[in-house]
Amino acid sequence: MRFTTIPTASKRSRATLAATAALALASTLAACGAAEEGGGDDEIVIGISLPLTGDFSEPGKGIQRGYEAWAEYVNANGGLLGRDVRLEMLDDQSSAERVAADYEKLINQEQVDLVVGPFSTRLVIPAAQVAQDYGYLFVEPAGAAPEVFEEGFENLFYAAPAVADDHYKLLAEHILSMPESERPKTAAYASMDDPFAQGTAYGLKDALEEGGVKTVVDEVYPPNTTDFSSIAAKVADSKADIVVGGSQYQDGVNLIVALQQLNYQPKLAAFSTAPTETEFAEAIGDKTQGIIAPTGYTTKADYPENQEFVKFYEEKHGEAPGEDEANAWTTGQVVAAAVEAVECAEPDPECQSQLIDWLRENEVDTVVGPLSWDDKGRPQSAHMIQQWVDGEIKIVLPKDQAEAEFIFPKPAW
Amino acid sequence: MSLSLLLQSLILGLLLGGLYALLAAGLTLYFGVMRVVMIAHSAFLILAAYLAWFFTKQTGLDPLLSLFITVPLFFAAGYVMQRALLSRLRPATLTMMSVLLTFAIALVIEGGLGYLFSGTQRRIQLGYSGASLELWGARIAVVKLIAFGLAAISLLALFLLLKKTRFGQALRATIQHREAAQLLGIDTDRIAGFGFGLGLATAAVGGTALALDATIYPSLHWHWIGPLMAIIVIGGLGSIPGAAIAAMILGVTQALLQIPMGTTWAQTVFYVALFATLMFRPQGFFGGRLAQRF
Amino acid sequence: MLSASSHGRTPAAIRLVAAVVLLGLVLAFPALAPDPFILSVGVVIASYAALAVAWNFVGGLTGYISLGHAAYSGLGGYGTALLITEAGVNPWVSMVVAALLVGAAAVPIGIASLRVRGASFVIVSIALVLILLLVAQSWAGVTGGSNGLRVPRPFGTDVLRPEQHERFFYLFVALTLVALVLWWLIDRSRLGTGLKAIREDEDKAQALGVPTFAYKLVVFVVSAFFTAMAGGMYALWFGSLDPIFQFSILTGSYLVLMSLLGGVRSLLGPVVGAVIVGYAVEFFKNQYGDTQLHLVALGLLLALVVLFMPDGVIPWLTSQLDRFRPGGTSIREVDAAQLAEERKALEEAKR
Repeated sequence: MRFTTIPTASKRSRATLAATAALALASTLAACGAAEEGGGDDEIVIGISLPLTGDFSEPGKGIQRGYEAWAEYVNANGGLLGRDVRLEMLDDQSSAERVAADYEKLINQEQVDLVVGPFSTRLVIPAAQVAQDYGYLFVEPAGAAPEVFEEGFENLFYAAPAVADDHYKLLAEHILSMPESERPKTAAYASMDDPFAQGTAYGLKDALEEGGVKTVVDEVYPPNTTDFSSIAAKVADSKADIVVGGSQYQDGVNLIVALQQLNYQPKLAAFSTAPTETEFAEAIGDKTQGIIAPTGYTTKADYPENQEFVKFYEEKHGEAPGEDEANAWTTGQVVAAAVEAVECAEPDPECQSQLIDWLRENEVDTVVGPLSWDDKGRPQSAHMIQQWVDGEIKIVLPKDQAEAEFIFPKPAW
Repeated sequence: MSLSLLLQSLILGLLLGGLYALLAAGLTLYFGVMRVVMIAHSAFLILAAYLAWFFTKQTGLDPLLSLFITVPLFFAAGYVMQRALLSRLRPATLTMMSVLLTFAIALVIEGGLGYLFSGTQRRIQLGYSGASLELWGARIAVVKLIAFGLAAISLLALFLLLKKTRFGQALRATIQHREAAQLLGIDTDRIAGFGFGLGLATAAVGGTALALDATIYPSLHWHWIGPLMAIIVIGGLGSIPGAAIAAMILGVTQALLQIPMGTTWAQTVFYVALFATLMFRPQGFFGGRLAQRF
Repeated sequence: MLSASSHGRTPAAIRLVAAVVLLGLVLAFPALAPDPFILSVGVVIASYAALAVAWNFVGGLTGYISLGHAAYSGLGGYGTALLITEAGVNPWVSMVVAALLVGAAAVPIGIASLRVRGASFVIVSIALVLILLLVAQSWAGVTGGSNGLRVPRPFGTDVLRPEQHERFFYLFVALTLVALVLWWLIDRSRLGTGLKAIREDEDKAQALGVPTFAYKLVVFVVSAFFTAMAGGMYALWFGSLDPIFQFSILTGSYLVLMSLLGGVRSLLGPVVGAVIVGYAVEFFKNQYGDTQLHLVALGLLLALVVLFMPDGVIPWLTSQLDRFRPGGTSIREVDAAQLAEERKALEEAKR
């Protein structure tokens, strides 16, 4: 072993290197920002961070398509306050750490005029915090979980009909109104540990427990779970009358396949999100008959705003918009309504607080119907219940909007 | 808890244990021939699963057929990786630096998969994915049975290869005493390369088996590397039978613990067993003298 | 051990001036930063620097490479958050107490993982992160499950966000400085000598009577403590904890890359590495934001460093520069393996 010394000359050059690096850092980062200053007089820049890669990339891209379609539509119809709308989008890689940095950057470096929200509760909360700290209005398309509204944000508005707990409200009412002999007695719940997914399942669970339906299985799994065989084994073993999945997309599919593998046949199966996706039927081998899902949006709703949206979107993409696209479009509509009403879209706090105040007081007509909010930013409408009937997903509740009869009990899958 | 649920879980555990056993055998093989902790093993596993998925998606053929492509490909990749990259490292710092190097390879694979196929979860759509057989009131999914069969056959083939062939003897000699093997005229460098190729071939088989009945996404490999590394330490670093036995025991234990504890907590059994092993029997429970020094 | 200054050609005074100027530049950064976003990037880099220096207590002094230091920073963050929200302790006290607790928890972990050589140490370091991720996700009653925890702000609401960034920047710099001073002291102590003996040849060190196990354990615990401090401070700054990010092997691997890049054997190496890597991450995101290519880049960079510059890029660069310097001293720190290789090369050249 030898004890030797590092030549000091190299130590000095190391210090110089470090100093140069530090300086270069400050100047180049500033340079990338300075290249794109926020909107001038002729355009309104809207800053958005979206999960385009990572866990939430699938819905993230849906939201992106919705925002882009909305901006195009607005620009084709004369813009906002006579100014063109330009979207400034960043990818947060589905990471909460990134999303905060992204909004920090949008607000300070790009100096955007407005910001709108990302996807998923987990990303909405840190993002809303940054927006609030800089006094920005924050309308968001996807952050339905109860936690979002309990953080005391004063700038936040959720642009969809109802918060997660209320998604199954109509289904719960329907089940509890069944005659005693038909009504299910036991229920099994399996939910992703995600504020939104869990919120939907537990909303139904609370309502059903109150109505006397016994909970026999209550499982929560982390978002990265891929093996559902043991959860399915427990659900199948309990022989529960109904199964409720608080799911996003793939986990819902996996759970259904695992339940099929165990030949478990419930009288009713309700899953959030997954059954509304286009690939769902193929993914579970077309055994869809009777599967239920809540939805905040349908292309068939007869609001004039919606018909225009569907027409515009279909022309552009050649296919009907989904719920994510509609939520993003709704977000755009809500922001636009406020901007038109108070006639400003500037980063300065006064304009932003006027926008916030206006939304507190007013109702906005959107593709999902008229929306208004309570003082925490919760929307005040209800979700519809859809069911797979003969290879198509159709609205079954509420009765006055139903396209098909509610199927109960569910046929075997 | 009912008896049928117990039986069901036992079956699930055995089926899973088989896959663990095959993969851990590969991991311990690398350690045996080169004293290398191969972090990228599970990344290659996921890569093989993606290749199977992509193969089925493009051709519409059964994913099992992709084995004819992935196994030779991975064998070659393993050989090249050992000869071109790992053998360049200095012997004095081999253990640490090989961890970093294979870790870097894992990152490149994960990032590449994410770039090509996005982070979206994927699953092969199979006509028989929901099918199952009945056994004493329990259900065995056909896809899981195929996966287990694949793992069992490969493990048996690996065992026979090591025990019955000249190459196997040379490989075992290299594992046991490299210098002595050299003196006997064995080209240990080549043999080590082949050993690496074999290890990576197990990842190809395992990946295809995995793809039959699971969802895959690029960062899934982190989910696998922990349990696999725990298995090879518990089984005794470098011991293939030890790894296989530890894998079966832990797979079944995990499945049974899932009944009272839930999926996530049950997975901690691997790490609890790992810490207990290091505290009380650092050389592992089935391992030879190799393990003591590393 | 000889002190560097007595042999150097540069007078101590000049080196002191250089250090002061460097520190001055760092401290002036918040004033120079053109907007709060860049300031926030500065905070992230400063936190990386603190973490990398903390990592280097084990990595640099003993040569044991831990890929799982995110375990300690995550525990520090969760501990801080829980002490504030559940026990109502003052945020700063929480941070220190949490770090002390993590240091205490590192004792049994160190005993389990340091008894055996390299391979098991790495496996345990990775396993620890994975197990903690599982626990953080499952133990929803305490850790908030996959949703994580919200951490209350340590400053009042009247402190605006840019000002918070500024304060936390100085706090991270202060933490880094404290860790650097301690590293420097250990490096020059009997303990440091023993540790470096372990790094070069653990068997020989043991034979020479160095209490290898105890020495390794001491720096391991110190490293866990500082990592937890940095983690707690990050939690206070960022305001929320997401288990997947807190207990991520990727975070740990960034620390390894930073230290290796800057040079694990030198005092300032990890800091330089943190600045380079932290900046590169932001730059890469700016250029290629929407893809997973940053993982590929990280992987390739790590592989290059491991294969060609295992002593660090900066030491490699400076040694290349020194070749051209007239009268440059030929003495440099080498380990036994390098010496053997050099000798071999010389012999071959003679033939």
